[in-house]
Amino acid sequence: MRYLILAMKNLLRRPVRSALTVAGVSLAVAVAVSLSGFNLGYARAIDQSIEKLGFQVMIMSKGCPYEAATMMLKGGTGLLYLPEDIYAKVKSDPDIASITPIFVGIAQKEGSSIRDEDEGNKSFSIVSGIDVESFKVMKPWLSFKTGKGYDGGHWFAQDATKEVVLGYEAAEYEQRKVGDTFYASIVPNGKTEPVMREYKVVGVLDRTGTQDDGTVFMPILPAQEAFGRMGELTIIGIKLKEFSGAKMREFEARWLKLPEVQVVGLQQVKTTLVSLVGTAQTMVAAVAAIAVIVAVIGVINTILMSVYERTGEIGIMKAIGAYRGDIFTLIWYETLAICAAGGIFGCILAVVGSSGVEAAIKALIDLGVSGSIVYITPQVIGYAMLGAIVLGFFAGLYPAWRASSMRPVEAIREGE
Amino acid sequence: MSDENNRPVVISARGLKRHYRRGSETVKALDGVDLDIREGEMVSVLGPSGSGKTTLINLLSCLDAPTEGTLTIAGKSVAGLGEDELVDVRRGTLGFVFQKFHLLPTLTVAENVELPLVFLRRPVDRAATTAVLARVGLEGRSGHLPRELSGGQMQRVAVARALIAKPKVLIADEPTGNLDKANGEQIFDLFRSLVRDEGLTVIVTTHNLQLGYLSDRVVTLEDGRVVKEEKGQALAAAGAAH
Repeated sequence: MRYLILAMKNLLRRPVRSALTVAGVSLAVAVAVSLSGFNLGYARAIDQSIEKLGFQVMIMSKGCPYEAATMMLKGGTGLLYLPEDIYAKVKSDPDIASITPIFVGIAQKEGSSIRDEDEGNKSFSIVSGIDVESFKVMKPWLSFKTGKGYDGGHWFAQDATKEVVLGYEAAEYEQRKVGDTFYASIVPNGKTEPVMREYKVVGVLDRTGTQDDGTVFMPILPAQEAFGRMGELTIIGIKLKEFSGAKMREFEARWLKLPEVQVVGLQQVKTTLVSLVGTAQTMVAAVAAIAVIVAVIGVINTILMSVYERTGEIGIMKAIGAYRGDIFTLIWYETLAICAAGGIFGCILAVVGSSGVEAAIKALIDLGVSGSIVYITPQVIGYAMLGAIVLGFFAGLYPAWRASSMRPVEAIREGE
Repeated sequence: MSDENNRPVVISARGLKRHYRRGSETVKALDGVDLDIREGEMVSVLGPSGSGKTTLINLLSCLDAPTEGTLTIAGKSVAGLGEDELVDVRRGTLGFVFQKFHLLPTLTVAENVELPLVFLRRPVDRAATTAVLARVGLEGRSGHLPRELSGGQMQRVAVARALIAKPKVLIADEPTGNLDKANGEQIFDLFRSLVRDEGLTVIVTTHNLQLGYLSDRVVTLEDGRVVKEEKGQALAAAGAAH
């Protein structure tokens, strides 16, 4: 303890230099913690998004699997359609536990209930045409918001033509409650001019943290009719009786024979998303590794400078009774103190700045998931602190060895 | 004189040599010194620059190892000992004062004085620290930082640091080299009083002949050899009094 206090006081001798070295370590630790938090958070966000989809397999029109995946998890505009009769064919597959057809269309928000202040900034609402009964089976957790203006929310009847259910955020954005009128500006397929349509809001969903929050739900038939795509679907969501790699491959082999169709397993979606982001992660990991190396060099440099500046003092300490091990310990403690302080500040920086990191990552890359993608756990913090201390452990070896190896008579002479 | 000669020898050097290479040349910094230091005496080592004073002090302090010869400190031969074993000899037996004070600037006066106890793993007794500081005339300065002290005061702190572990021998290498005349005399007076009142053995090197002769015995070195050994004024005065 007395050595630790002595080490701390030595570090305070050059506070600016020590602070800058601590800042270097902090930065490296913050990058490492943020990266680990992102790795964890992203995998978690994908898992959550996939779980909240409610189905394990999708059948959709052939195209880019990444686009298909992100479209399902987060929404998108590059929609492809498949003939509705495929649904009828697939439905009879004996391995299917439940199946639901979904039609997705994009309505312009411009011209709908809320007009954007910026006329040039056209944004979009996702409109999902669903089969209520099978959709409810897929997503049993969906519930209706209650409270003033929201009570009495319910799903529309399948044959209703002018009723919609709004996702939580869609309702917030449009400032709509149960019983209000919802306007949708929809350009039918093959037309250039939008058609304004009116619907009655019959329910607003509770928040789910998925793309459902921003979706406008309506029965499948009026959705197809509004978008001018009668007899077409966007995806078919499927839950298998037994979900395993082998079963998935069997199922895929059966239905890939259909023209213009791709069978996408959601584990495959996860792999695709993770591998696509993997390159960016590798680059960030490389940056983190460089930051750590620079920090280690900075720590070694600072402590070595400090050792050389105190050559005479080290000689005196040896003269007055310090063993080599005492000097080694003292210098080593200084290194550990710098790295531990860097670890603590780095973790604080990473936790405090995680929302900023998340915003920056989301601005740079379309990750294909909604929800939080940086998840810093106590374990991550623990590993980061351990890493910082291990870093100090190794960074301190050389300066401590140099200091402890000084011959007292030469050290005192050099310090004169 | 006979009384002084009956005191036990605390440091004994025989044929002490310290040679080292400088390029192709062998420098004989110390070339066969025989010397006995007895308990409770103050010995000044005088000589011009390069005469081997500091080399001798370094060997007697176990800070350096002789090339040849034997050295016994407090009855223990130090020939062939490793660095940590030499530390063992120094700990508790020898105290050091150097020309530059080498106080740790971030530690207070009291903490600097207590530093040897940290390395000796002895408990720190602030009352003992205060007493040592009072002994060197620095009452009330324990909380000050070194930068708040004068050169003379810093050297007194260095003396207090050397005394805190209660050594048998205090070894001072040019302790007045960075001090003015008045402060130099005060340091020597302090050494004299430590010898007189507490029976401490003091070995001191100096360029200052006037101060050097204030000791019991004066050893003069030239070219690494003892060329003269004589009584100092202190012993001469004591002899005259008897």
